[in-house]
This record gives sequence, C-alpha cells and structure tokens, in this order.
Amino acid sequence: MSRIFSPARTARTVVFAAALFLLSGICEAVTLPQTTIRALTLPNGLQACLVEDHQAPVVNVQVWYHVGSKNEVPGRTGFAHLFEHLMFDGTTNIGAEQFSDYVIRSGGIDNAYTTEDSTVFWETTPSSQLPVVLWLEADRMRNLDITEAVFDNERQVVEEERRLRFDNPPYGTVVESLYQHAYTVHPYQHMTIGSMHDLDNAKLEDIREFYDTYYVPNNATLVIVGDLDPQEAESMIGKYFGHLERAARLPINHVQQEPPQTAKRVVKLALNVALPAFVEGYHMPADGTPDAYPLRLASNILSEGESSRIYRRLVYDKQIALEAQSTGNFTEDPNLFFVFAVMNQGHTPAEGEAEVEAELTRLKTQTVGDDELQKAKNQILRDFILSRQTVQTRGDELGYAAVILKDANLVNTELARFLAATPADIQRVAQKYFVAENMTLVEVYTKSAAGDKQASEPKAGGR
Amino acid sequence: MRSPKKFVFCLAATLIAVFSLAHDFPPEALPPKPLVLPAPALRVLPNGLKVVAIERHSLPLMTMRLVVKSGAESDPAMLPGTAQLVSALLTEGTSTRSASQISQAIDSIGGLVDAGADWDQSYISLSVLNDHEELAFDLLSDMVMHSSFVPAEVERKRQQTLSGLEVVRDDPDYVADAALRRLAFLGTAYSHPEDGTIASVRRMTSEDLRAFYNNYYQPSNAVLAIVGDIKTSEAFERAEKRFGAWTNRTTPLVPAPSPAVGPHRILAIDKPDAVQTEIRIGNLGVPRNSPDYLALRVADQILGGPSENRLFKALRSHQGLTYEASSELLSYQTAGVWLAKTFTRTPETVKSVHLALEQIKRMHDHPISAEELATAQGYLIGHLALDFETSEGVASQTLELLVYNLPLDYWNRFPENIRALTAEEVWNAARQRLAPENNIIVLVGDLSGFEKDLKKLGPVQFIPLAEVDFGSQELVPSVGRAPERR
Repeated sequence: MSRIFSPARTARTVVFAAALFLLSGICEAVTLPQTTIRALTLPNGLQACLVEDHQAPVVNVQVWYHVGSKNEVPGRTGFAHLFEHLMFDGTTNIGAEQFSDYVIRSGGIDNAYTTEDSTVFWETTPSSQLPVVLWLEADRMRNLDITEAVFDNERQVVEEERRLRFDNPPYGTVVESLYQHAYTVHPYQHMTIGSMHDLDNAKLEDIREFYDTYYVPNNATLVIVGDLDPQEAESMIGKYFGHLERAARLPINHVQQEPPQTAKRVVKLALNVALPAFVEGYHMPADGTPDAYPLRLASNILSEGESSRIYRRLVYDKQIALEAQSTGNFTEDPNLFFVFAVMNQGHTPAEGEAEVEAELTRLKTQTVGDDELQKAKNQILRDFILSRQTVQTRGDELGYAAVILKDANLVNTELARFLAATPADIQRVAQKYFVAENMTLVEVYTKSAAGDKQASEPKAGGR
Repeated sequence: MRSPKKFVFCLAATLIAVFSLAHDFPPEALPPKPLVLPAPALRVLPNGLKVVAIERHSLPLMTMRLVVKSGAESDPAMLPGTAQLVSALLTEGTSTRSASQISQAIDSIGGLVDAGADWDQSYISLSVLNDHEELAFDLLSDMVMHSSFVPAEVERKRQQTLSGLEVVRDDPDYVADAALRRLAFLGTAYSHPEDGTIASVRRMTSEDLRAFYNNYYQPSNAVLAIVGDIKTSEAFERAEKRFGAWTNRTTPLVPAPSPAVGPHRILAIDKPDAVQTEIRIGNLGVPRNSPDYLALRVADQILGGPSENRLFKALRSHQGLTYEASSELLSYQTAGVWLAKTFTRTPETVKSVHLALEQIKRMHDHPISAEELATAQGYLIGHLALDFETSEGVASQTLELLVYNLPLDYWNRFPENIRALTAEEVWNAARQRLAPENNIIVLVGDLSGFEKDLKKLGPVQFIPLAEVDFGSQELVPSVGRAPERR
C-alpha cells in the first residue's frame, strides 16, 4: 500500500479458504487444509466462532460489535470510534489503565479498530491467558464506567489521532475529500474518525444510550483462534458471557442507500505537497456480491506487482508517476474502487488520468489473456495462504466473514468464487463500473505550482 | 462518642456498602505452556556463506531471506543512500534477466519479493508457494550474485528515489526522525538519512553502486535463511547448488566503534502549516551486543514500551496531549541511541516536552518498583511466543543473532537472563544513559504557536523547513553557525 495516501480505509486482505488448486502449467497441487469452525450462540444472543490452531502456544480473541461509522447520524460523526477508545477506560471492576496492563504483563498485545461497519477489539496472548482475556472482554461489554474527566481526556486523544492521520501529513485530507463528494446521502460520506466539529461537541450523556444500544451480547460476535481446547473454551464463554443481559431489541439500521451517480464529479485541491496527484473513485457493489470477485481480480491485474498494467505504464515505461495503484475498498454496503497516482515532478494529473483511462479502456475492450488472469488468481491464492500464518490474521478473516459477510464458513468457500471468474467477467465488470458518470475525481496540485484558476478549495460536503 | 448500638448500625451499613460495591476480579491464568523454540540448522558453505534452515510444514509456503551484513552505515561519506539504491536495483536486472523478466517470473507464480537496506544490513527476500522452490532458488541467487546495474534501470530508480525524497520533505514525522538521527548519531556511521539526500542521490554513479555491491555483496559477509515447507537437507542442497559458485572478492570494510549523542541541544524546525508538533528526545543508548543491552531493554519497556508505559500514561492517559508516546532503543553494531518520541497539538508543545523530560528524569532519579519490573519482564518473556509464531518471525529472530554475532542459543536463554535482572541493575543501566546534559531535543512544527515558551527550556536553534539540509552535519547548508533567529 501507498505510504503517501495513508489509508483512512484499507482494503481488507483477501480471505482464505480451502480448495484444491492447480497452478498454471504445473501439475503439482497446492492444497489448503480445511478450517474447522465451531459456532455457537448463547441464549443471550452472543455468537461465537472457535478455531483450534496449535502451531504456536498463542491465542487470539476478538469481539466484533456490529456498529461502525455508517451507524452515525449527521452531527455525531466519529462517535463509534470515540466509543472504541472509551472501552479501555475502566469498568465498575477495573481501573482506567488496567485493561491493557493485564494483557501486557503476560507478554500479550491488545488493541481495537473501528471501520465503517464494525468495531473490533482484540488481544493476542500466550494461550494460558485465555480465561483472563475472556473475563476482561465480558466485563467491559456491560460494566463500562466512564467519568466526565476521562471522557474529555479521550476526546482530546481522538482529536490528536485525527490531526495525526488527516490534518498534519502531506495528502492527508485527499481521501476525505473524495468521499465527501462521491457520496451524497449514505454515511460512507464521512470518515470514521469524524469531523473536528462533531468531536468537539460530543457529550457524555450520549454515551449510555450508544452503549446500551450497540454494546450488547446480541449485537456481538466473539472469535477465538489458537491453541485452545474447544470444550474448555466453550465452558469459559458460558461462564463469563452467559449472564450478560441481552438488549430488548436490536438496533434499527437507518442507513440511507446512495442513489446512482449520473455525472462525473471533479474536485481540485491545492495542498502543501511536493508533487501533484489524483484519485479516482468509482462506485462499486458491496463485498460478497458476485461482482466483487472479478473486481478484486481486476485490481490485481491493474496494479499488483511490477508486471501489472498500471504500474508498468505510469511508473515503469512512461516514468510519469512515483507510484500508481488501484484498490477496491470492499465493505458491507457499496463502496468505491480507487485508482490513484502521485505524479513525478513536471507531470500533471491530467497526463496520469489519460494513461489510466487508456488502461481501463483496454480492460473494457479486450479480454484479459488466460495467463494474466491466472497470475492474478495465483496472487490471491498466495494472499489466502499468507493470511493463515498468524492466529491474529485468521481471527480477522473469520470475524469479517461471520459479521460482515454473514457466513463464517466463507473462510472455506470464498476462494472458489475467485477461481470461477472468467476473462469475460473481468471485461463485464470493467464495462459496468469504470465509466465517467460513475466517477469522482480529486486532483491535487502543489500550492506553489497551482495557479488561482487551476486550483480551488474543496466545497464543504456533497450536499 | 458513639453508642455500641450505633456502632453496630454503622458496621452493618459499611458491610452493605462494601458488598454492593464489591469488585469482581479477573480469574487466574491457566498454567503456562512451555515455549519450545525451533532449533535452526546452520551450515557454512566453503565460500563462507552461512545458511540457516528452519522447517515449518503447516502451510505450503517457503520464504528465503538473504542478508548482507552491511547496510546504510557503510554508505560512502559523500553518498548517503547508496546501500538502499543498490538493494532497490537487485530486482531490476541481472546479466541474463531483464527487470521485466524478473517481475513477470515472480508475479506469475504469485511470488512476493522485497529488497531493501537498513542499518547494519541489506536484504532481499522471496516467498513462494511450495511447488516453486527450484525457480525461487534460481531467481534469488541470480539477483544477489549477478546484478547488472543497467544504466536505464539506474536512472529509473534514481528518479523514483528523488520523487520520494521530495514528498517526505513535507512529512513532519520523517523530518523529525531524520533530524534527530543527524544530531544524536553525529560522528558515527549512523547519522545520515538511510534513503539518502536529493544531492547525494543525484550525485551517485553506476560505478559508485557497483563499488558498493562488489565490496559488500560477498558470501563471507552474508547469511541466507530458508524457512517453511522444505526439508532441511533439501534446503542445504539447493543452497549449495545455487550459491556455491558465489566468490569473495575482497575483505569488506568494518566501521569503527563510535560513541553517540553529543552535548545537550534543542533544535526547532519551523513548518508554519503544521497543526501538530513532532517531538523527539535522544539519549545515550548502547550497541546491540553491549552487556547492558538486556537491562536497557527492560528499562525501555518501562519508559516507553508497547501500550501503557510511563510516557504513554503521562502524556496520553492522564493529559490527553497525544495519541502516541513511546521509546525505543536504536542499537546497532557500533553505536546506540535511546529515543523517546511523541507529538501533540501545536499549543501544547512545550508542556508535552516538559512532561516527557519529567519521565526521563524520573527514570534517572528514582528506583524502579518491583511491580513495574515484573510487568516488563513478563511482557518481554511472554512475548517471545508471538515473535516466533510465523516463519518470517523465526527467520528474522535468527538472522538478528547472526548479524550481531550473538550466540545461537540467545533466545533460548533470553527468559532466564531477563528474569535474573534486578530492579537495581535495570535502574543502573538506565541511569548511566539518561544524563540531562546529554539529551538532544528535536521539534518539527509551527514555531509561531510555541516559540516564546520554548525559550524557557534553554538556548534553541531554529531552522525553517525549507532550509534544512540532511546532507550537512549541522542540518544547514553552510559550514558556519546556524542563525539563532529566522
């Protein structure tokens, strides 16, 4: 991934699955072992997925709450992520700094992240710590205890995080600008971090309602992967989570779907950066839908590895860009397929856009060769295998499949969907989605080079 | 005075209160499982190349990593960035393969290649699915032994490097790291930016690159790790077949030991559009193979290790001044610096510097508590299981030992060695390095927002970002003194 467009969102790594797969031209089979998943649902609605993996004496625990920034309403942006921080700030049983201390002193690590669709808390520890970690997660699921002082402190921490990721680094606001304009009603329009204005106005009294709505067993999925005894682990889950009360009703999702875009949108930014750049965002369907698979393969064909088409054309052959990439931000609701480039000194965004356009046109008008498609599939198989290396990445994939794709067993079956894609599928999705009226373009000019005519400040919001 | 009756009532009330406020506590952990570290097999080829093989059969994957024991510290004085440019060109052509042929070959089989140069080492690694070992050994040995430095590829990488350097000049995080390094490691081989400067990268010729390659890319100066789904005997056989013909040309130069961190100074780099200030504080550290290294690792864990360390608690948990505060040991072959880092919103710059210095002073002035020691030891020992979880993890832990000439049973003995350290020993090791008259402070941010307060810390040197020259020892182009004022 680019170090320049640091991701507000990063495309998740490809999920793993079990399948028999023949590499092109080679008759030896590379086989992936089947992942055996034990799934259970407690009477209070908590779902759990367990996978035994004894490669190392470690275990990864994740609690997925099905709430993200797309559940936020205007004026309250950044709330899901702010709440993620508060979950480390103490309960009626343990003090504000103790959660991580319990994990750290065993040699483990812990953290959490918030996306558009979910909030995920995780710990990776020596496997002997499993009961401790499960107790800690169950405790903060229902016993959070936040004071005004702690809340205010955490809000300031989150504002520093916003400055760090968006406001201070070069190109930091480009992706935010793209989403502001690509979306008009769907909450993907705003960044998960939220706006500084809304963070300033967040109130402690909003906390209790948010907590009671979303941080309940019937809105949570527990994932455990690693060196565990399944019976023992199941009884621990019952012991620590079983008594937690379910919410009377599940949250109602108010998300408004985005209407189809009908005309190309262009935004020009003048920033304090050394090199011009551009990002194109094309609306595409949600993850797990049939078109998501050929789109991800298309992304590999365009820019995975130095022999890929966009890298080859813009970076290697023409040498007009420092870097150029495409990547789909696949999520629960329809999101964007990105193409971006940072231009070399003396080259304009327009030059780069023309070269990208040539590659997208080629994808639409000529079918991809079997070899080139096979190359993309081999890269995906490799990513499946790599994501199986640690209990943490296995936990990530399992939680994602269970919560976002709503079928934990996709960790075993999803690879087949990639392998089934044909050259005609690639051509079809390219023709369907890579069209001008479906695209939002953000051009970045350097402040010194930008004439007044060329660049203008972004208009706030898309509405 | 209270009547007995009243006393009973009070007692009952207290008991009820205690009962209703009763805290629940986390359960005991299960008995810890013994950690069995994989024993790497080592073979030294007749040409001096050390080959390490580690079998991991759980996934159909093999990773090879070749490390040359010379990196950016071996850059010629006037040519910072040489080691990095040389490593970047390994994948861009050999005497028999063009850059396109190499990338096509690797991408087609779903291979993953990575090459680069760090301090004390240059590396290239290649991961492939397990039915492509033959091609992997062929490609890796070809890239390492027969790099061609074709002029067109050199120019291409040069331009890319230059563009990258232009971009990072506006990145306050990069600027702060590079400036701290320049000043804290002054007089050592570790003081320049490892990716070079715009002037040095422009200046470099193909001959310079070839000279570096000839000097350091030699089997007696290299280590090859092979990990994954391949039998040890097969790994050694294939290594001998592909790397056996690699010959030594000269004896590589070894940099002389050099102490780091000069006298105390404060440098502020002005970036008027910044909304945060990057803060770096450099103290004396130790080389990687110093006898004090482990004691300092424990001290560093307490001061600024992962998660809720002292710096984190003081700056983030208690004051909400930052998102991140940490410390790390930059410990190399011949020099070391103990670095503390954080960042904060512009108006809180000086307060944050004060708080960080306070924690460093506390580490210097006061003994370490038994509880803090136990937590730090627990983390370092328990975390080994995570460090050795993947093939790459096993390879890099093992390669570290070979690069720094540490015994091969180092990690097996690590738990007992950490456990044996007393609070006194840890404190002593820390105290010797944290003398306030030695620290170096670098700030990158909008000076107008904190300049007045900053002067209370002592004499400050100011440099506008546009005038910073990472190629110069003093960070300003002229040999003379930097202006006190902008």
